[in-house]
Amino acid sequence: MTHRQFSRVHADVREYEVFARKLRIEPLRQIGSVVAPDDDLAAAYARATYDEERWIEMAIVPTDAMTTLWAPGEDVG
Amino acid sequence: MTLATLVLSLADNKQMLGLRYAEWATRAPSLEADIAAAAMGLDDLGHSRVLYGCLQPLGDDPRRQERETDPGSYLALPYFDEPWSAWAQFVAANAVLDTAFSVMIQACVDGNVEVLRTRLRKMISEERYHFLHGRSWLKAGIDQEPLLEAWRQAIEWFGPPDGDVAELHGRGALSMGPAQLTARLQERLETAAPSMEVDWSAWDPMRRSSRAGVIDERTFGMLRGLEEKRFYPAGA
Repeated sequence: MTHRQFSRVHADVREYEVFARKLRIEPLRQIGSVVAPDDDLAAAYARATYDEERWIEMAIVPTDAMTTLWAPGEDVG
Repeated sequence: MTLATLVLSLADNKQMLGLRYAEWATRAPSLEADIAAAAMGLDDLGHSRVLYGCLQPLGDDPRRQERETDPGSYLALPYFDEPWSAWAQFVAANAVLDTAFSVMIQACVDGNVEVLRTRLRKMISEERYHFLHGRSWLKAGIDQEPLLEAWRQAIEWFGPPDGDVAELHGRGALSMGPAQLTARLQERLETAAPSMEVDWSAWDPMRRSSRAGVIDERTFGMLRGLEEKRFYPAGA
């Protein structure tokens, strides 16, 4: 996976993927992303940005912590 | 000061904090920070409504008629008297004052007054995100002047060592007195309060501050709904 590099207000920021679900029987699904310099601010931004719906669970993961096995247009495995 | 007056002070401060946050919803340094400012503003305005709603059950609503006409009758801290002109003022209020109010709310939730124990609990979880936002921006570094002022006003707002908050703590209405509230604030912000002398003889027990001042006229007008009336058709 190619990670975007950001240089904005903070010198060093990361992209975080935001996951959430509304029902216990649902799996978490990706609902968006935020950019922040640390986990604390990413959590605050994710909650502020995506809190409009009644999620029962929300989680964030740094995009660069995800290992892509394959991506659109690439051969499987 | 009664417990109801302290709750009114908390409500007025939350209301003004929410309004000042909201003013930065299109001026913060990034889009994410804009959205966070708007969301935190809504949270704090909501919290103020819950707090105002506690006054009657407390049996001693201290709001008087002069709140309709006298901006000096509002109990918010001088920090909120004028709109903030710098992001550092926002961050200092977010990190220090918002957390100070949360620490007081925690003292109410852990105290022995049922209406506060039950109604304020949800605020604590919502305030977690305000705290994370403030602490992170604070770590990024801001000008010292607003930060020192926010600390001063937070410590003054907790009140003198042997004052009303200490008495409410003694009665069990609050789980913490001024010294414990300050210690908890320092612990949460992972930093010591700047050393300062407070002249308690100049302290106003209503605004809980030694600084003079009142809410700016435009904001007071907005609070009273006057701002909207300016745009009514003539004679309406």
